[in-house]
Amino acid sequence: MATIPEVMSDTPTRDDDQLLPDSDPTEQPSADTPARGYSDAQKYQIFNKEFMPHIDSMYNFAFRLTTDEDDANDLVQDTYLKAFRFISSFEQGTNAKAWLFRILKNSFINDYRKKSKEPAKVDYQDVETTYNSEDAESEHTVDLRAESVSDLIGDEVATALNSLPVDFRTVIILCDIEGFTYEEMAKILDIPIGTVRSRLHRARNLLKEKLRDYASSMGYKEENEE
Amino acid sequence: MQTSLPPSASSSGKPEMKEHCNHSADCLKMIQLILDGEATDQQLVRVKANLESCRPCIEMYQLEKEVKELLTKRMEKRCCPEQLVATIKSRILSFS
Ligand SMILES: [Zn+2]
Repeated sequence: MATIPEVMSDTPTRDDDQLLPDSDPTEQPSADTPARGYSDAQKYQIFNKEFMPHIDSMYNFAFRLTTDEDDANDLVQDTYLKAFRFISSFEQGTNAKAWLFRILKNSFINDYRKKSKEPAKVDYQDVETTYNSEDAESEHTVDLRAESVSDLIGDEVATALNSLPVDFRTVIILCDIEGFTYEEMAKILDIPIGTVRSRLHRARNLLKEKLRDYASSMGYKEENEE
Repeated sequence: MQTSLPPSASSSGKPEMKEHCNHSADCLKMIQLILDGEATDQQLVRVKANLESCRPCIEMYQLEKEVKELLTKRMEKRCCPEQLVATIKSRILSFS
């Protein structure tokens, strides 16, 4: 299999269905986007009423992506400044959270991922060998029981999540922690819904493998239920 | 830990419980759609039927649900530092 480009970084999937609708509320800020003529007062109002309420979620997302408090700080600040600068490409009353998350994720890819210490290449090779055929993907189920994970604590879950390659980590954060729909995730990540679905599926299998390692290191074994 | 079912003759109206699932990979995908609230009505019906008659699917459902709950409920949520909020607000005011 060819090397995966650093930015796109997802293997092609079979089910690239469902084109995105034309009116994209999470349109990336760009000079081409028709500007809405907000007055300064309106800009501040949108910023304070529609953008700022999401700042804790944004910080959480940034921290989960960068796994570093200082980087999370910078990333959130950059994102909010960008959001204000390009506020005329945001349509008031639409999905501000998805719009902001998309800017943050793009900033992360463009500005932080490159200089990140994360050994992305190694991670992807690892993933490739695990899932380099469709068979491997579709037949793969992780041997783990619900009772084995129910005693794990938040720190262990966080460590398991952080150990996933960033693209897989991202879909789990967006879906399970932030509660975005597949359609919203498709827009935030600029990928088809089918890819959201399959990436999420693979991410969860990887996460379960990590959780299984934790659970078994804690002494759980399948057979020794009391 | 489960006891084997008594060989009740024709009396039981319950569907037979399958111990092996021949399409667990597809079942797993369906189960995730359900838990994510993304399943169609048709898919819901199919999985519901499976969850009454297929033991591996029941266990998969419980595991997926448990993992999702770990992520939604047990992970620490970090709040944005007050200082950062203040910085952003003052930077914005110096624009335009
Ligand atoms: Zn089944």
